[in-house]
Amino acid sequence: MTEIIVVTSGKGGVGKTTTSASLACGLARRGKKVAVIDFDIGLRNLDLIMGCERRVVYDFVNVIQAECTLRQALIKDKRLDTLYVLAASQTRDKEALSSEGVRRVFDELTADGFDFIICDSPAGIEKGAHLAMYFADRAVVVVNPEVSSVRDSDRILGLLSSKTLRAEQGNGQVKEHLLLTRYSPKRVATGEMMSVGDVKEILGLDVVGVVPESVDVLAASNAGIPVILNENSDVSRAYEDAVARLLGETVPLRFVDEPKKGLFARMFGG
Amino acid sequence: MSALPVDCSRYREPAVYSKNDGRLMNKPADAPREHAVEIRFGQVGLVQLRLHTTDPGSILDELTGRTATAPHFFERTAACLDLSLLAKPPSVEEIRAVVEIVRRAGMLSVGLAQGGASDALAQELEMPVFSHIRAPNKPVPVVQAPPAVQAAPAPEPALPALMQHQPVRSGQRVYARNRDLIVIATVAAGAEVMADGCVHIYGPLRGRVMAGVHGDTEARVFCQAFNAELVSISGVFRVFETIPADLAGVPVQAWLAGDDLRFSKIGE
Repeated sequence: MTEIIVVTSGKGGVGKTTTSASLACGLARRGKKVAVIDFDIGLRNLDLIMGCERRVVYDFVNVIQAECTLRQALIKDKRLDTLYVLAASQTRDKEALSSEGVRRVFDELTADGFDFIICDSPAGIEKGAHLAMYFADRAVVVVNPEVSSVRDSDRILGLLSSKTLRAEQGNGQVKEHLLLTRYSPKRVATGEMMSVGDVKEILGLDVVGVVPESVDVLAASNAGIPVILNENSDVSRAYEDAVARLLGETVPLRFVDEPKKGLFARMFGG
Repeated sequence: MSALPVDCSRYREPAVYSKNDGRLMNKPADAPREHAVEIRFGQVGLVQLRLHTTDPGSILDELTGRTATAPHFFERTAACLDLSLLAKPPSVEEIRAVVEIVRRAGMLSVGLAQGGASDALAQELEMPVFSHIRAPNKPVPVVQAPPAVQAAPAPEPALPALMQHQPVRSGQRVYARNRDLIVIATVAAGAEVMADGCVHIYGPLRGRVMAGVHGDTEARVFCQAFNAELVSISGVFRVFETIPADLAGVPVQAWLAGDDLRFSKIGE
């Protein structure tokens, strides 16, 4: 059974692509066969984050317009055997996507025995974002703990409950998960940032992960290595927890409280 | 505080009538002054004190509490007393006491706001009356709710209320045509819930709510936790830039009294 998971947010720059890449790697590392697809036609980024930008020959639009086969366009990850990337086109625009074309790609991936299809949605609520979520079984809504991101996520949650295939067929809801990124317990403590509790209360959803703000994310993006593969980073552990929760495991939330400073750290201002 | 909204760098002497020939002429700035006094009009900032009571003790407590946060801001600030919210017209002595209390709190009462018995009082006190002070946030009168109007004896078979179990998200609209709407979840900021009848909301209300959208003036809005952006009944609406402190987050009902939208807490 193939599960289609859309990673979406409404607002740009909150960490959708970082999250897509890390969730895909995390699932693949647990032996799942995973395809991660960039729906941001014209502004492709996922290939950079995945570090496969120089291996893109054919892209998603080529497949949809039957200019190549899916097998030709899928880029096999060099680190994980069961992980494949389908890059967006940098030269076309989002009108090149079609609902039938996307469905055909998903059907083919399902027939190929993929366990998960991760759809990296573009920002906004237009065609690319709409098609990224349309066929989804589950949604990971990425939100930063600040008001505009929360407002946009609320809008996206509304669309998920009305403008998806599941909603239209009355075939059960798209299962929604909240993932907070760029979370800074220190700034929450000083009241500069909304807390996990605030965001949960406003959006009325359970949290599948809280990813702390960290310099490791930018470093990983620049290096083309999904941040979940950086074993020394809290961000990696947070994404690993999120993957576990997506697979139905119960894992306590980490990185939501400010670490207590030890005596030495306090004395030496560490 | 009392700065005139005038751009001094481009200030030009206003045209005046010459005493000699009555003709309108421009007068250069360095010309010798011929008048004992000039009358100019300008806008000044004025603190408005809306009195809910004339009890000197509670006024002083409240004012000193407020001014303590920014003592220099309020120091010798001109204040206008608004008596319109008082339950009964105050006496001259009461107002004199209030003026004294306000002075002790650091501000200077310079007049009364128009309305109620202000004109007569102002005469007695030799104070000016300020007319039409624009209040940016009209206070929401919180009053006792009158009982709902008795239903007509033989009501038409009504449609059952539309039930909304899912949260109404930002950007979504839910409309109950010819009936009531019951929402058992959150109405998010930026969402709209509407009904031709009443609207009942059992989750937090943070969005917009419209009852009686086809003109039913008896329609009401009931909610469990009031934080609405806008409330409208039969086209009469109020926008909430800030939620009045006594309504925020508590169960509230809204109804229409004539052309006036009224709000009250439920369960008091």
